[in-house]
Amino acid sequence: MSAVTQMDKKDVLPFYEPQGDEIELFMHAYEHKLPVLIKGPTGCGKTRFISYMAEKLNLPLYTVACHDDLSASDLVGRHLIGDGATVWSDGPLTRAVREGGICYLDEVVEARKDTTVVIHPLTDDRRILPIDRTGETLHAPDNFMLVVSYNPGYQNLLKGMKPSTRQRFLSMSFDYLPATAEVEVLINETSLDKGMAQRLVVLANTLRELKDQDLEEGASTRLLVYTATLINTGFDPVKACRAGMIEPLTDDPDIVAGLMELVQAAFGSAEA
Amino acid sequence: MEEQVGQIWDRLITRVAKQGYAEAAVTLDQVKAPLGVFFRALGGDSALRVTATTATLHKARRNWLQRIAGSGHKVELAWQDETCLYLPVQLDVFPDRQLNRDLYFWLAAMAGARVPAEVHRGVNWIVDNQQRTLHTLRQFQGLHHRYLTLVQAYIALRPEPERLKPEAAALERAIQQALIQPGSVAALPQAGFAPAPVSLWLHPDPPRSAGLLNSDDAQDRNASKGETRQTQQRRRQAERVEKPDEQGFTMGVRHEADLFSFGEFSKMDRGTDEEDDLDQAENIANDIDKMSVAQDNTTVASRIKFDLDLPSEQEDDIPLSEGVLYPEWDFKKNQLLPDQCRIIPMMSRNAVDCELPDHLQKPARRLRRQFESLSARPQWIRGQYEGDKLDLDAYLDYRGGIASSGSAHAGDPRLYYQKRPLIRDMACLLLADLSLSTDAWVNDNHQVIDVIRDSVHLFAESLHASGDQFAIHGFSSRRREHVRFNCIKDFNDNYDAKVRGRIADISPGFYTRMGAAIRHATDLLGKQSAQKKLLLLLTDGKPNDLDRYEGRYGVEDTRKAILEARNQGLIPFCITIDEEANQYLPYLFGHQGYTFIRQAEQLPKRLPQLYMTLTGKLLGG
Repeated sequence: MSAVTQMDKKDVLPFYEPQGDEIELFMHAYEHKLPVLIKGPTGCGKTRFISYMAEKLNLPLYTVACHDDLSASDLVGRHLIGDGATVWSDGPLTRAVREGGICYLDEVVEARKDTTVVIHPLTDDRRILPIDRTGETLHAPDNFMLVVSYNPGYQNLLKGMKPSTRQRFLSMSFDYLPATAEVEVLINETSLDKGMAQRLVVLANTLRELKDQDLEEGASTRLLVYTATLINTGFDPVKACRAGMIEPLTDDPDIVAGLMELVQAAFGSAEA
Repeated sequence: MEEQVGQIWDRLITRVAKQGYAEAAVTLDQVKAPLGVFFRALGGDSALRVTATTATLHKARRNWLQRIAGSGHKVELAWQDETCLYLPVQLDVFPDRQLNRDLYFWLAAMAGARVPAEVHRGVNWIVDNQQRTLHTLRQFQGLHHRYLTLVQAYIALRPEPERLKPEAAALERAIQQALIQPGSVAALPQAGFAPAPVSLWLHPDPPRSAGLLNSDDAQDRNASKGETRQTQQRRRQAERVEKPDEQGFTMGVRHEADLFSFGEFSKMDRGTDEEDDLDQAENIANDIDKMSVAQDNTTVASRIKFDLDLPSEQEDDIPLSEGVLYPEWDFKKNQLLPDQCRIIPMMSRNAVDCELPDHLQKPARRLRRQFESLSARPQWIRGQYEGDKLDLDAYLDYRGGIASSGSAHAGDPRLYYQKRPLIRDMACLLLADLSLSTDAWVNDNHQVIDVIRDSVHLFAESLHASGDQFAIHGFSSRRREHVRFNCIKDFNDNYDAKVRGRIADISPGFYTRMGAAIRHATDLLGKQSAQKKLLLLLTDGKPNDLDRYEGRYGVEDTRKAILEARNQGLIPFCITIDEEANQYLPYLFGHQGYTFIRQAEQLPKRLPQLYMTLTGKLLGG
């Protein structure tokens, strides 16, 4: 249950840089009560997009970060021992269905197989959540929306999403932002100066091209923001890149050495 | 005596005349791995391998010492072609190690930088190199400082124009200016000779036909024998010449109206070549500037590609069918050529039913125990009417149900955990490379093929114990119309004395047309219904065959086949004993998709362990 967070209401919309027509698609999906699946590599802005949409639609957001021990009862709820009695406690999915809002299951393929049992009836036109344990059957209100996400990149070896589940969702694919947009994101998130932000983005895109051969995954926008934060507070850019963009991507010393040469080539200072 | 004095003099004068700082030398081997990553990261073609170049002739004037010593007329410069990035085997230009190391990375950056096409088509090499320099510096501002340091140190090492004759001085001044202010020199002043070679630039006239003498395969064979002498990896400049007459030499007069020099014509008629002293041949080859190789693609004996005869039909394995046609990927055309290769499933003719060889009995017993426990690993199933322990969660729900409804029959009475064996829903196809290179020796007692045979034996024992579905196949090829696919154990076969007999009968075949074999294996494995499908490739070298299936062509086709397998949901993984594997396997299987076993004789024990780790990850992850 600790994996569940509910967004605090804020008056300002969080910053979000659209990649395409995803906002419009999401609005339509919400209007017609259709569930949505979001695919994309780590740290490309999936979670940020959902928070943004929750704010925009003025809906409470229930985010569940799925892990390999997450079972159906973690989503639906369970009996807890109370003071001399047992008390039923709703899980995040049940709460979202009862009260309306977006339930966002992040990295859904990580969850145990039994979770699909509770997801399926919510994703077709029945939009119901049967709770075996209490004998209830909840009907989702109009403002309930189920959103799941997963990263097809590194799971395809180990786990895929079953077609029977995948075919219940409207799907959209996210990727890293185009360079100019990503520069905007960096400036917006960390107020880094533009020249430096551009150089960071060039470096990140260079790293992304090494995916599948030298690296398992490219540098995420999230890592870029981390690195930019370090640089912006006066940290040496080369060291910041090492900590923020190179070491998180690989453990192989040769690859680190080669990539650090690249960082030097991109950021080496005059005194280096 | 006279000879000895001569040798001493030669050694002395060569050393004195040699330019460079041996004590500060950096070798390519020391920086190869990071250099490759750097090169690719800067935009270098990711299919290229980083490899050592041969020295090439330059036409610059030598100083008097070099002339006396008869050295210094060759230089190692960097260049790239469609298969490799060639870099000097060692750099000792600068007295400072760091500078020599920086020079390697600078050369890789020059080669890797994405230069617009119009720059690429530079009219002459000097403009071309300046443009490349400018472009590289523009793209990677951090290189500025490094370049300046290199240029400063380098100019100090170059001849001083003031001390040269006017013609040479003008030339040298132009070069130095081009280095200091790239882009400022449009053409070199006319001179009867070329300027001293520039170590900071790429090769002015890269040897283009190096692909003809495709030393890739020769390297493979050498590597598999454990010979990694750097000299063997230097590429020799090859040029295409007509095959000499069968009768022997016909000393034609070429248009230069010169007689052939030693370097230009050597050992042309390989048909009659019985040179045994390979070392000597090697030395000669290193001295020759251009090694002329006849069109039938043969060089020193060790590099000869034999066109092996197939055994007669009575002795050969039994073909199981006419064969299946598979496409092949042509990277130059960027398309899949349909029906290029014929896979012929074969069954061993002479296999005799047998038991496991004695020397494998002991490890097999241990592995069997280990793998049996694997299949018996229990899993706890919850929500059972009876079982080994109480499911507290279910009990709470039960009590909660009773408490809230007041009725004793409200809750679900399935309150127990039950222990059940885990179902391993796993299918694995082991594809063993049975090419001729497996004929090589691992150590004094074992050949590669022995190691592979033992590995397959233990692998089969282990998997049989684990209860996973598995199949074992071998492959080798002779051109595209004859790709042999040796059936050792099909998914439907029981593991028995027959299968052991076929394993015992495996022997080195021909060449390694990996792509077709992988495609066929993908088909077989894809038909299995298991949840996880693992395609294990066991090999000792890179893809090659007699025809164009070598070098980059073979690698690209294999890569395509692996991608196809992945798209079908299979998990390809490669186990290799090739020391050079890190040069091409990451491109084929990804960095996480292969394992290199340094000591080949460890393979039989390591293979089952590897399987266990891999499937543990796949099933548990």
